[in-house]
Amino acid sequence: MTQLAAFKKMKELMTLHYIEAKTSTEKPIAWLTSGAPVEFAYAMDVVPVYPENYAAMCAASHQSVALMEAAEAAGYSQDICAYARTDFGQDLLRGGPAGGLPPPRFLICSTNICKTVIKWYEAVARKYRAPLFVVDTPFLHDGLNREVLDYTVSQFHDLGRFLAEQLQRPFDRERLLNVIGMSREATGLWKKTLDLAKARPTPFTCLDAFIHVAPIVTLRGTRPCVDYYQLLYNEVAERAERKIGAIPEERYRLLWDNLPVWFKMRYFEKFFEERKCALVAATYPNSWAGIDASADLHASDPIEALAISYLNIYINFGFEARIRYLAQLMDEFTLTGFIMHSNRSCKPYSVGMYRLREEVSKLTGKPGVVIEADQNDPRVFSEAQVEARLDAFLESMPALME
Amino acid sequence: MFAVFHEAILDPFATVRKCHDRTGRPVIGVMPAYFPLELIHAAGGYPVQFWGAGLSIEHADAYLPSYCCSVARSLLEIEMRGLAESVQAYAFTSLCDTLINLREIYRRLFAKPTFEFSIPVTPNPEARKAFLSTVVAGVMKGVEAVSGRSMSPEALRASAGLYGRIRGLQRQLYQLRRRKPGIMKNRDFYAAIKAGFFLPAEDYGPLLERLAAELETLPACAEQLPRLVLSGMVFEPLGAQAVFDGLRAHVVDDDFANGWRSVSKGDLQVDDWVAGTADYLFGGAPCCCLHNPQSERHAYLIEKVKAADADGVLFWPMRFCEPDAFDRPQLSERLKQEGIPSYTLEMDLTTSNFESAKTRVEAFCEMIGGLEE
Repeated sequence: MTQLAAFKKMKELMTLHYIEAKTSTEKPIAWLTSGAPVEFAYAMDVVPVYPENYAAMCAASHQSVALMEAAEAAGYSQDICAYARTDFGQDLLRGGPAGGLPPPRFLICSTNICKTVIKWYEAVARKYRAPLFVVDTPFLHDGLNREVLDYTVSQFHDLGRFLAEQLQRPFDRERLLNVIGMSREATGLWKKTLDLAKARPTPFTCLDAFIHVAPIVTLRGTRPCVDYYQLLYNEVAERAERKIGAIPEERYRLLWDNLPVWFKMRYFEKFFEERKCALVAATYPNSWAGIDASADLHASDPIEALAISYLNIYINFGFEARIRYLAQLMDEFTLTGFIMHSNRSCKPYSVGMYRLREEVSKLTGKPGVVIEADQNDPRVFSEAQVEARLDAFLESMPALME
Repeated sequence: MFAVFHEAILDPFATVRKCHDRTGRPVIGVMPAYFPLELIHAAGGYPVQFWGAGLSIEHADAYLPSYCCSVARSLLEIEMRGLAESVQAYAFTSLCDTLINLREIYRRLFAKPTFEFSIPVTPNPEARKAFLSTVVAGVMKGVEAVSGRSMSPEALRASAGLYGRIRGLQRQLYQLRRRKPGIMKNRDFYAAIKAGFFLPAEDYGPLLERLAAELETLPACAEQLPRLVLSGMVFEPLGAQAVFDGLRAHVVDDDFANGWRSVSKGDLQVDDWVAGTADYLFGGAPCCCLHNPQSERHAYLIEKVKAADADGVLFWPMRFCEPDAFDRPQLSERLKQEGIPSYTLEMDLTTSNFESAKTRVEAFCEMIGGLEE
């Protein structure tokens, strides 16, 4: 990954976050999905814990297999999401880099990333006899409309009431507005940082983005998160200004669609660098930057704007919007092609991907390839197959024009 | 007694074509699950339920990866092969991630209209109803455009009565099976239920009535055999249900999404039909696909087993069905705590050889039979 000074700060932030989660005695712990409106939790001094983030950490540190095997031994099928299996395993073994996650006092999940999270969180809620609040964000087959927005906003208000009831104190709306402000600031900086990858050579790849996405997932709505993304932006902007590329030579510029293969980050870094491929853009890190930057401009109040931002997520959109968005990225980031990760663990991202590939290629005239893998389960990853497919793809792709 | 049902499902596409030609009603394909069929019927449509098919996957693999369930893959296969040419439009639900994206694939590949019945899962009844009113309005607009007829309150009342009566008769069949285990073969029972997916309600109702009346006259099987409850999303492949018919066991109840979970839905209340639709969706047996804190599956299944005086539960999951798979470990554990044995038999719609299933079910039945003694 690109050697960025900000990396040290990020590690420090994440370590502090996990220390607080593991040692907190006064603040209640809530488990949240990555697309849940964490701003409500921060407004009530709740410590949010993210099993998805922790599952990714387990895979990146090559600890996910043992954890998934423990979950499978407890009866969970290999057919279910590998993040969920990793999470069930860490819970059973108290495993992973932080020695397991602290138990939740309550859980909040949102369906904007998938419906699977409901099942996953229902299981955890049942185990811990902890209340579960589901934020139901309907899939936007034909874009956002007033009814979906009103429905989502009404649930945000219910979430405030849920937290007040759980914590036996009034919901702090003033604090929420403050937290929302910081959340918007951080996501704005994140988007600006991702946009810096448009430069040639790119100063920041999506492999970097996959690493530096952690604070925006876990800490958005806090001051340290804003400060961190300001730091990161400044550093990447300077590299762009000085034309320092993330890889030594940039012959191809590609988009990566779907989650990363967390247990193969170093492998892919080396693989692409050797082939002079810069993975310039990705859809996954953009999930915390919105697919339409101006979508919430006309919101009537900050909570409505927040609801828009949680609906405005790539995999919560129908294929027409996804195709247009991918084509837009292909154009804006001067890409030569795209890679789609058909991810066994993520159906919202992956089901229909073959059709998306056809249509995006047709629309942009740029080649695309689909590789079969998994975000967290190395047992279903075939290096030889992936490599053969990617090599054949790269050989057929015209290089970047000078 | 069951020949007419078997005939209807032998070639469901031919059945639908023939009935469509006769009734002239436009066929609307209904994807899994819980779309109130009476709404389509009231708007002049002919609703036909699709729960997948036992087809070899030859075309759908180009668009659906192997980690999608065989229900979704075979549904796409049906349309790609052109088997459902009499179907003019499809109604989808938001039951799972695969189905949500499947609708998007249909929209890109085929010209037939599709309607999305997005089921709100917030427990807040006001929010649920407010959102559902928009959803059903959108769906009905689409259905009416296909049928060329508007849904009148009178037509809705009549259709609700018709479908309510059918589900009532189906429940009667379930009760008969529970009361008099062994009076019908398992394969016949599910053929009778499945025929309702394809036959027009006006034809299916009288057939069910006749069947129920005939079954009422039959004596119960005298032999006491282990009693099983089956649980899963779909009771297919039907051939696998025949496995039980050669065994020393009785299936006395089920918890299938296309079985009891659908059959248990009450009559659609039409005075406020949007509220009625919400009650319909979340009433009846709980489903792993519908988050509903008010209806806990664990307590429900235990109660079902006890009410059916069953000796064990056989889980019948479709491979790659996540909602079902997530629930199973805790559900099995809870059953175990209650002293109810359970066993899991993974299924796939493309499976055609059931010998191994038979051996395993046999072993489970012997085990629970032994426990009884």
